[in-house]
Amino acid sequence: MAAKNVLGIIFSNAYDEVIPQVTSHRTMGSVPFAGRYRLIDFQLSNMVNAGIPQVGILTNSNYRSLMDHIGNGKAWDLARKRDGLTILPPFNHPDTGVFKGKIDALFGSIGYISDSGKDYVLITDCNVVCDIDYDALLEFHIERNAEITLAYARNVKSQLATAMEYEVESYGRISEIRYADPFGDDSSNSLKMMVINRTLLERLLHEASLKRITDFEQLLSENCGNLRVYGYRHNGYAKIIEDLKSYYDANLDLLKPEVRRALFPADKPVYTKTSDKVPAVYGINSVVKNSLIADGCRIDGEVENSILFRGVTVSKGAKVKNSIIMQDTFISENAEVESVITDKDVSIGARKKLCGADNYPVYIGKGINI
Amino acid sequence: MARKQECIAMLLAGGQGSRLGILTKNIAKPAVPYGGKYRIIDFPLSNCVNSGIHTVGVLTQYQPLVLNDYIGNGQPWDLDRADGGVHILSPYQQIKGTEWYKGTANSIYQNIKFIERYDPEYVLILSGDHIYKMDYSKMLDYHKANKADCTIAMIEVPWEEASRFGLMIVNPDGSISEFEEKPENPRSNKASMGIYIFNWKKLRQYLIDDEANENSGNDFGHDVIPAMHKAGERMFAYQFDGYWKDVGTIDSLWDSNLDLLNPKVDLDLDDDSWKIYSRSPVAPPHYVGENAKIENSMITEGCEIDGSIDFSVLFANVKVEEGANVKYSIIMPGTVIKKGATVQYSIVAENTVIEEGATVGRSPEEMENIEDWGVAVIGNGIKIGKDVKVAPKAMVDTDMGGEA
Repeated sequence: MAAKNVLGIIFSNAYDEVIPQVTSHRTMGSVPFAGRYRLIDFQLSNMVNAGIPQVGILTNSNYRSLMDHIGNGKAWDLARKRDGLTILPPFNHPDTGVFKGKIDALFGSIGYISDSGKDYVLITDCNVVCDIDYDALLEFHIERNAEITLAYARNVKSQLATAMEYEVESYGRISEIRYADPFGDDSSNSLKMMVINRTLLERLLHEASLKRITDFEQLLSENCGNLRVYGYRHNGYAKIIEDLKSYYDANLDLLKPEVRRALFPADKPVYTKTSDKVPAVYGINSVVKNSLIADGCRIDGEVENSILFRGVTVSKGAKVKNSIIMQDTFISENAEVESVITDKDVSIGARKKLCGADNYPVYIGKGINI
Repeated sequence: MARKQECIAMLLAGGQGSRLGILTKNIAKPAVPYGGKYRIIDFPLSNCVNSGIHTVGVLTQYQPLVLNDYIGNGQPWDLDRADGGVHILSPYQQIKGTEWYKGTANSIYQNIKFIERYDPEYVLILSGDHIYKMDYSKMLDYHKANKADCTIAMIEVPWEEASRFGLMIVNPDGSISEFEEKPENPRSNKASMGIYIFNWKKLRQYLIDDEANENSGNDFGHDVIPAMHKAGERMFAYQFDGYWKDVGTIDSLWDSNLDLLNPKVDLDLDDDSWKIYSRSPVAPPHYVGENAKIENSMITEGCEIDGSIDFSVLFANVKVEEGANVKYSIIMPGTVIKKGATVQYSIVAENTVIEEGATVGRSPEEMENIEDWGVAVIGNGIKIGKDVKVAPKAMVDTDMGGEA
């Protein structure tokens, strides 16, 4: 029940730059994923499923689609009088302008954080897709009497220059926080999720602001030695989305039954905004194999190894293979797409053919007609 | 006192729907699942909201648990409102005693106080057993333009079916000259849809008089409407063109679901201008496996399909294992159809398990005597054991076969 004493903070914009194609008009948090979700749904649901009652979502830019998705938080049961969900728009200091790093962002919302009155703050990005048990993480944090607990996983190496790895001692104590070596052996890789005692967070933010430190990782790394920092290992499935390829792979990963079971356990639903679309309709001669199909789709053609988001039309004679087809894409008669990611509202003309490479997809921007 | 509303709706949802047999054993008819992700009541509720009517009283009596739970605070239909919104109205105890709703008119009579809180000019009476999309605001305009006291929605039905309906003989100006209740030799094919708009002040008085009349059955169709007609009130028929189906029997429920797969049927649920809202299950998109074969079907979230599906409607979280065959069937939420099982011409209710090799239902062509054919129905939570055969037209409400 400690979860009711937790404030969740989600960075919705972190890593926008790593998949510029999909985030040019939205935040990382509102990137569509798995046929009917946005990336932020996974973190929000993890928090809600653990019983965390209050969540603030930090935004920086392009957050209209995020606000549209989140609304008042009703879909996550976070439309409440007490606690509940708040979108935290960028707080511009007259002297700094729009914030630069995570420290700035948190510092801009420091009033919100301290007003929450919670003892613990759970801070996370939303580019890691996983079903992590925050309740267990919190229990671990309290039981170890930790000041900071960082979540990590093995076998999820990130290729980003900003990726961190931890030196985890026995009993979970973290002795070193360093930038990950992308070519090194498997290590304890940061999942960019942490629990920190609120008063400590406030103190660190004030110090960092005085010292003009803007990099959160640097702050953690500097303080690792003189604080009680622990590592909590997440053993389940986790996938880091850090470029177009990993976004593509993470989507197609869902075609594996074990991945679907890991991300969508029956007792811990992933909540999202509902759209009241009709069920998917399959026409005569439709052929669908190994695919994930959302409501509102109309399929008269062939679909294989693909993810179809809500409201996609695959017309007669059209073929879709190894592709991620986002909301309301229209694929006309006899068109063929393979290894393609189409953003929302794309239209592929009759008999047009589009093909990416086996190991790298072609991306078609929002609303483009081909 | 709530804010005055021009028109409020009262939805009669208390009937048992006994003709649906075991499907309504534990739930009221309006709560019966329909069309892959809806329940019947989603249609009148969505029609209300889409027509701009935001105050709806839902009269419940028979097995209201699932229905109450489903409607909740009305949020899926945008009916969680500060002014009006959806209200569940069950019979309640009063000083003079406790009474169940004796009939449709009596159920409204017992809720006169609820209606008066909104001081409406008009009251729209709806039932919870039809599938249709209708703009009630147009009917209200028609009612006002005719300065009517009562307007009854009417649809032209095929002459050969007319004797099953309550019929109206309508004058050229739209006013109703005569009613005929299920006549043997119909003189009209204009059937009442069970949708009425009344001037509230008039209706209120008729309800009070009807209640005082000991010989009355307290029913709108049998008592109140004829009384108004006899007294010479202005009564008009409002013609509706479009899809409208009573889903009160097993056959019509089955038919109406399969109508959704027929492109010639005029019932488009994928219509952004007239959405049918529902309380959606929280489940991922459905997965279609390597060996699945799906044609002419409707499938929704949470399903896992590895078998073959033809001309069927699958609700949320249905699993169809490899080698299983589903044809011309309606499979309600949470049901599992195991390897090699065959389900055809059937309605399978929620959370049912059809074990390996079992067969449920049969196609009419296979029948020696077509009289014996009918849609097979499996009740909620039933288990059909391995290799068990369920005959066509059967209604199964206890587990069948299989090792204990």
